Formats: sequence, structure tokens, C-alpha cells
Amino acid sequence: MLEARGLSKRYGGFLALDRVDFQVRRGEILGYLGPNGSGKSTTVNTVVGLIDPSAGSLWLDGAPIADDPVAYKRRIGYVPEEPHLYTHLTAIEYLTLVGRLRGQSEQTLATKIPEMLQLLLLWESRYATMAAYSKGMRQRVLFAAALMHNPDLLVLDEPFSGLDVTASLLFRTLLRMFAAGGRMVLFSTHRFDMVEKLCSRVVILSKGRIAAERDMAEFREGRAESLEDVFVQITGQDDFTPVARQILDLMQP
Amino acid sequence: MTNEPEVRLKPDTTFADWRKRFTERAEWRLTEHFFRAMFDFGFLNDLAADSFKRVLIGSIGGFVAFGFLLTRAYMIKYAILWNTGNPERYRRALLGDDMTIIGLPMLLVAFVTLLVSQSLFPDERDFRILGPMPVRRIVVFRAKLSALLMFTGLFTTAAHVSLVPLMILTSLNPWGDSNVILRLVAWAIASVTASVFAILTITAVVGILVLALSRSRLQALSTIMRSTVLGVLVVCLPLVSHLPTLGGPLSRGAPWMVLVPPAWFLGFQRVMQGSADRGLAHLAFVGIVVVLVVGAVVAATYIILFNQFERLMLRPAPMSPPWWRINRLPLRSRVPPAFRGVFGFTVATLTRSELHQGVLVGLSACGIGLATIFLTSSIRLPISASIVPFLLMFACGVAARAALALPIEHRANWIFQVTEDHAMRREQMRAVDRVVTVYVVGVPVLAAAPLLWIALGSDALMAGLVMASIGLVFVHGVLLDWRRIPFTCSYLPGKRFIGHSALIGFAACLLFTLISSGLVRTALVSVNQTLVITAALLIVGYWLRERRLSAWRKTPLMFEDEFPDQMLQLQL
Repeated sequence: MLEARGLSKRYGGFLALDRVDFQVRRGEILGYLGPNGSGKSTTVNTVVGLIDPSAGSLWLDGAPIADDPVAYKRRIGYVPEEPHLYTHLTAIEYLTLVGRLRGQSEQTLATKIPEMLQLLLLWESRYATMAAYSKGMRQRVLFAAALMHNPDLLVLDEPFSGLDVTASLLFRTLLRMFAAGGRMVLFSTHRFDMVEKLCSRVVILSKGRIAAERDMAEFREGRAESLEDVFVQITGQDDFTPVARQILDLMQP
Repeated sequence: MTNEPEVRLKPDTTFADWRKRFTERAEWRLTEHFFRAMFDFGFLNDLAADSFKRVLIGSIGGFVAFGFLLTRAYMIKYAILWNTGNPERYRRALLGDDMTIIGLPMLLVAFVTLLVSQSLFPDERDFRILGPMPVRRIVVFRAKLSALLMFTGLFTTAAHVSLVPLMILTSLNPWGDSNVILRLVAWAIASVTASVFAILTITAVVGILVLALSRSRLQALSTIMRSTVLGVLVVCLPLVSHLPTLGGPLSRGAPWMVLVPPAWFLGFQRVMQGSADRGLAHLAFVGIVVVLVVGAVVAATYIILFNQFERLMLRPAPMSPPWWRINRLPLRSRVPPAFRGVFGFTVATLTRSELHQGVLVGLSACGIGLATIFLTSSIRLPISASIVPFLLMFACGVAARAALALPIEHRANWIFQVTEDHAMRREQMRAVDRVVTVYVVGVPVLAAAPLLWIALGSDALMAGLVMASIGLVFVHGVLLDWRRIPFTCSYLPGKRFIGHSALIGFAACLLFTLISSGLVRTALVSVNQTLVITAALLIVGYWLRERRLSAWRKTPLMFEDEFPDQMLQLQL
């Protein structure tokens, strides 16, 4: 289980995360929902070790990750929000680089990479550098890079942006099966539909704080109002008509 | 209607209106955007880009200062020439110096144009961003051209203004040879034409590559060609320094002067000054023809690109491996994966990135330039042969460090951050060590091998051995304080005052070259001495390398560059 205990992050005078607590249990996909600027990406960056928290700690299977951050990093796979890749490399070269950085053997890479590229429909483009790839293709490369070393925890930050319907369906199924195998997924997004279809629990973040934590079964079984209603109540943005009207007025010459 | 003439009578308002109308036009906005983009090389973050702009503006001031310095140096030469009372000597010297005064701005402008070669033509990004906008294609092309003219014009003007005092100095003479005003005007026209030729030549080469690149996959080839042009320009630097000595051959009408581009424009200048010399007229004719031809190539490139923009920009992804590269999957090997990963990434980036290859080749070519100066000087060949490899080695060391320090797609470095592992860091840095060692030791020693053989005969082998051993020690200097995976750390240019860095660099080069060549000459006295010195150097080199690798294992990698602490800079 991954556990965040009192996680805070301060940038100068701005508190991006304020004592955030959550758990990602084995076998579950935890939805991490929030509007822009609520602290989702800060949490994700902290969880994957790109930034250090100002306060609080992360625990994996009962042990603080600060004790052995390298061992923890070996167990996670990460798909970032923007497809930042070395676009002068081909997909094969990039996946080889990532595999080598993760210490995977050449034999493993020689077997896994072609199969992964074929399954993700990237094999035809294997000779092109990723500069020529669409956003969806780059996203698929990132998924491949995150999965190749068989991680225990998958951290996804808006992973479906740019993906076509087929790829989205494929990855949704894949994530469900991945979690069902006793592994963990932290799924950061601002898309209700994805959370509703995919997650077992959801944490809603607002202004750097956890505003709500719900079991998705409550929504599915009709024991609670819709996720969208909960979100709107929490963020206090329930009626968008005045803003929409103002935009339309502004459009007038 | 009655008020309209009154408004026109107010010149300030009219000008302000005109200015407002002009600056609010889409074409001007685009020109401004393209002009700013020429200062952005894509690898700098906001802080670094600001810093780089300051460096560029500072360099314009540097040109002017250099012009004054050159004038001061030439004062002595011309005082001597005037005192000799020999007008022929003055005229011969003037021919050579005029060529230099034309050649220097040519070279500078060619460098600057090559530096912004990625922005010379509208590219795929412009096509994708501006395509859906209500802006006609002709406006985009005109704006691109205007931005290019503004950028190159800025440097052309700075270079010429800085040389005006020197031009005035060389125009003055006791024999009343020329009208100073006429000479200045003729020089300005001829020299600006020469600079335009340099800009057009670079643009034509890049333009042809842009067209070829779109038809087939010549990305790597174009990168290599641009680096080669940069290398050639750097090697031209010492050749420009030889131009003052070419006054004699030019006055005798040597036919090979037609191979020296500044001579064409000198001919043009002299023809405008009223010279009836047939040799100079011929050179002027060659110059004008060449400018017209290159101009026609550039115009044709722009026209083809304009007419076939979509087809050239929207090329399909390749379906087969390029002929120059075998896209291999990983092979079984006992080499640690971390080493292979960083080594492969470094080599791929140096092979494919124009910027990194350009820096590597450009700075290394400085070594070739310095070597050319030594080899064409009156220093005896055996002595030159013991100095030249170290000049190359030093230049390659600076080049390798600079190229590896520049980032590529800086925000993609997260993959190195999330996979950072102290257990593998030693192997990762060993890959950096290997690349640097091969480039800094192997390339110069191999390049200098023929020269060593000619100069030293069978002793060349011993000399090569000692040089390689010195190189292994020198690599430690190149990698001093290094704690980055190549290309993954942000870069802040202008961290130190350029003059300060240049002075330290010059002193380090001098010291390294003198000590190393002294060691080689000492080693070559006897075989025993060779063996002792080589063994000592190898032991020191090995010890430093092990110390370096051990330190790297303990030190976290660096992903963000930072300005040096002021207290540290002052060594307080």
C-alpha cells in the first residue's frame, strides 16, 4: 500500500499542497481529481520523486520511502501529463534507454521492446524519430516505458490526453487488469468520466487540500449524488451560466 | 470631412497614426516574433534566454571595442609605412589590409547566419501554427525575410561601424593616394555586398538542404553538413589573419587570388574608386557574378518552398531504416546497461542534434585553426609537431565539455531523475568518461599522426604514446566538477564575464601546450625516458580516473544549472 502522510509542498510563499493524506491500496485504482491548480501535479511529482515534499512523508508497504528512495523508484512506473520525450530518438532507442537506465538486461529489452511496439501499434513507425510522432503516439511510448520494468505502482498524470478511442479503451482495460493483479494505480485527472469508469476510490483535491474521499461504489449504487455534483459542491463552482454569458458578450465585435 | 485636413497638418499625430498602423499590422507582428525567435535556440529556459540576449548584446559592444583595438594595432604599422617614404610598399600593404577589412565582417556575418540557420526559412512549426490563422502565406514569408534582414543587418552594421576608424586610418597617407570619402563609400558598398554574399551563401546551402531534407530523410546529413560549414568557417579564421600578407600576390595579379572571396569584393571596391587595373576588374566581375548566382539560388529556394510548402512540410514518417543508420535492437552484451544507455544516448544526440554537433565541431575547429597558424608559421616542423596535437586536444576538450553541457529537450530529463540510482551512477558517468576520452585523446592523436610521422619519423610512435598518456591526465581537467548526464542539465550562458573566461582559457591552453610539448620533447630523448614518463603519466591518469569515478558514485546528479555564488566567484 502507498500512503501519503501529511504531505505538504510550499513554493516560496505559496502552499501548493497542504497536509495531504491518502492511501492507494493494493488491487485498487485511486482517482485523484481536482481542478487546475489544485495540487494534483505537485502530488504526482512528489510521489514519483521529482520533487521533495516540504513536510510529510510517503510510505510504501509500511516503510517510509525516504529510507530507500532508489528501491522505491525501481518499483514505480510513471506516465507524465505532457509527453516530454527525447524526440531525436526513435521509439526503440528511447525504450532501450529507459530499460537500460532501469538496469534491464539486453536480452529482456530485445524481446520486450518489439512486442510492446507491435501491441501498441507503433511498430510501423519504428524507424522514425519521435519528432514525427503525434501526441497520442508519444503517449503510447510513455505507457510502454512505464510498464516495461513490471512496476508495482503506476502513477498516471492525465494519461489519456491525446489518445484515440481505441488506445483509450485498450489502456483502460489494461489498467483494470494491472490493478486486479494486486498492484496499485494512482490516477490523476480532471475527467469525471474516466474516474467513474476506472477507479475504485476517488480523492478530490481543492486548493491543495483533500476536500473529499469517496468509494466509487457509492456513486455506482446510487447511494450518493453524482461525482460531478460532489465536485461542483466542493469547488464551489456550481453555476457557470454567468461566466459563459460574459464570454459570449466579450465575443461581440 | 472638414476636420480631416487639420489632422493631416499635425505631423506628430500623423506619424503616430502611421506608426500605430504599421506596428499593428500582422506582418510587423510576425516579423517581430521571428526576429525574437532568432535569439531563441530552443534549448534555453527563460532565465537562460535572457542571459543569452545579454551575451549577444555584449558581443556587439565587443566588436566595436575590437575595431578600436585593431585600429590601435594598425597605427604602428602605418606609421612605419609612412616613414619609409615608399608609396609602393604602402599600396601593397593597403591591398592586403583592405582585403582583411572586407573579410572580417564577411566571416562574422557568416557565423551569425549559420547560428540562426534553423530560422532562415519558414518551417513545419510555422506551417502548423500559422496555417490555421487568417494570415496569407506571402505575409509569413515576407515577415521571415524581414526578420532575417533585421538580424543580419544588426550584425553587419555593428561589424562595419567598428571598422570605420581602421578604414579612415588606412586611407590617410602622405602621397594623397585616395579621396577618403570616396574610399569609405566604396568600401562600405563593397564590404556590405561581401557580407550579403556570405549571408546568401549560408542561406543557399541551408535552403538546398531544407528542400532535400523534405524529400528524403537527410536530417543527419544536414546536421553533418551544417557542422562542416561551421568547422570550415572556424578554420577560415586563421586564413583571414593571413589576408594582410596577400597584398603582394594581389598586386602582381596572381591568378589564384580568384579563389579568395574577399579579393573579389576588394576588386569591386577598387573599381568603384576608379582603378583601371584589369586584374582587379576581373575579380570584381567574378564577385558580382557569384553574388547574383547565389542570390538566384536563394530566391529559387524561397519560391519553391513558397509554392510547395504543404508538400515539403507534411512528409510521411519513414517506413524503412535510413541507409546511414542501422536501427538495431539491443544486443546481448556484458557491458552494464547503465553504461550502454548513457553512451548510446550521448552518441545519438551528438550525431543528430545540430546544436550539439555544431558546438562540438565548431570549437574543435578552433584547434585546427590554431594548428594551421602554427604549421604555416616559421617555427620548425618538429617543434610545431609537438605543439599541434595539444592545441587540438585542448580545443577538443573544451568542445566536448561545452557540447555535453548543453541540454536537449530539458523537460524530458524527468526519466533520468526518476531512474537515478547511486548503484548505477558510476557506470553512467563511466560512459561520459569514455566518450570524452575517445574524443579528447583519440581524435587529436589520430589526426596528428601523419604530421608526427612526417616531422619525427619512427619517433612518432613514442611521441604518440606520450601524447595519449598526457591526454588521459587532461581528461581529468575536462571533467573537473562534472556531475551531469550529458544534455540533461539546464544551461545558463554568461555565468562569468566572457573576457574573464577567455583569459583563463587562453592561459590554460598556453600552460597545457607548453608543459605537454616540453614533456614530449623530454621523453623523446631516449627510450628509457619515454617509458618512465609514459608510466608515470598512466599511473597519474589511472589514479585520477578512479578517484573521479568513486566521487561520481557518491555525488547526486545535477539537473539544474545555477549562477555561481558571488562569494565563491570572488574566491573570498
